[in-house]
Amino acid sequence: MSPLPSVCRAIEPELLSVASGEAGPAAAGRVEVHVAACRFCREELAHYRALEGMMGTLRRAPLPDDDATLARAHLASRLADLRSRMVGFGVFPWPFGRILIGRSEQGVALVQYLPTGGSLPADVRRLLGEDAVEDRAATEGLRAELMEYLEGRRARLDWPLDLRRMRSDFQRRVLEATAALPYGAVASYAGIAARIGTPSAVRPVAQALRWNPLAIVIPCHRVIGTSGALVGYAGRRVELKQRLLAVEGVKMVGGRHDFKVDREAMYTTVTGEDEYCVPTCGSLLSQSLSTLTLFGTREGAEAAGLAPCTSCRPDLHPLPA
Amino acid sequence: MVRVMAEDAFEAVVGAHHAEIRRYLLRITARGSDADDLSQETFLRAFRAYRALPPGSNVRAWLFTIATNLGRNHFRAQGRRRRAYAAAALEMRPDAPDRTDGQVLADEARERLERVIRGLPAKQRLAFIMRKMHELEYSEIGASLSCSEESARAHVFQALRKVRRSLDGHLPIGMESRA
Repeated sequence: MSPLPSVCRAIEPELLSVASGEAGPAAAGRVEVHVAACRFCREELAHYRALEGMMGTLRRAPLPDDDATLARAHLASRLADLRSRMVGFGVFPWPFGRILIGRSEQGVALVQYLPTGGSLPADVRRLLGEDAVEDRAATEGLRAELMEYLEGRRARLDWPLDLRRMRSDFQRRVLEATAALPYGAVASYAGIAARIGTPSAVRPVAQALRWNPLAIVIPCHRVIGTSGALVGYAGRRVELKQRLLAVEGVKMVGGRHDFKVDREAMYTTVTGEDEYCVPTCGSLLSQSLSTLTLFGTREGAEAAGLAPCTSCRPDLHPLPA
Repeated sequence: MVRVMAEDAFEAVVGAHHAEIRRYLLRITARGSDADDLSQETFLRAFRAYRALPPGSNVRAWLFTIATNLGRNHFRAQGRRRRAYAAAALEMRPDAPDRTDGQVLADEARERLERVIRGLPAKQRLAFIMRKMHELEYSEIGASLSCSEESARAHVFQALRKVRRSLDGHLPIGMESRA
């Protein structure tokens, strides 16, 4: 086959455009003039037009296996599964750093303290999972409620929770026992260990609380050492623990890095009993904190369903405010 | 709530585009099961990214981009196996009964056309199918293939030339009006 004349080679792209119906009027005019004089290109144009016609047929022809019903049903179920796992999260400024709040379809899934700057720490990324998406709009309202809580303008966070990010059944039990601590109450790590039936597992309880996926919401700040010392909180954020407890009316002594709950200024109940006392009632002050729950206010104790002790009558002889 | 609205909107996206995206994947893979898997993966990926998609985006072209990328990964993974499957799929197509001579000729030409398209290099084949079967704009095809609009047009035209040459003597000149 002899090579095409250069004029035919040059016009070929426009010839293809004309056959495809994509050419503008100027190109169409050039092609029309050329094919009027060139038999080869006239035939080429006819061939390309025939090809376009075949492709039109192919486009409209039914495809074998073109039934999307089953695939669509599978997709719906996989999307539902993905949605239930997916976490939308926002990162917001917070006293002593930043806070990340994540929610899934089931409820609030994550409240995590973050350092002031930098990317998300590896353990937070792991908790978020690979399907997390940033969604500040969906979490902004939660942040506002948390801020109200921190400022003492809100005592309850009535949020549906997604508790699927527990590391183990043990952690779940620890966090459930912690979640049962009322607003304004404190108990000890040993006390939580005793409540879940493993009194010697004090350190594992502390570890389980360290990895609390829902800070503040599951109030691990209400768990303290048996000496009354605040011990630790979210790494080195013990000042934040002090602030949260102070907002809830828990009385503390000491300063800056060695805050301690002031047992002598707290209403006291023996865990499991249904009365609360002043701390000087009977031998309470000499009892280990592992068996006690302390309340900053009478209102807090009574809101938790406790009645004033009939011996020490904290209702008649309240502690000085 | 924002989330719920986004999810409802995504339902509408699935409703509007799933069948076409699956058909596109069926055309490029020639296997119903691959088209099922890849179309599901396309929409799962799209769902994850949907919230970040700027308002007013061309959702259809965006879905084609995701599907094209998944398709290309699939081809790389499948390699020669894919071509064997494609050939088998063609051979297994049953003949439609009671075809007239004209239909037989047209069908043979069409089958030849399909075979030629399958033999094209990947980018040309994808560009050609997106343009000629799904009528995407060259700019959209360029976005799907990570190339310029002009490169996308060049891929389609090169494919057209190859298809035209491969069908020499089999093109039903004058039959296009019957399509």
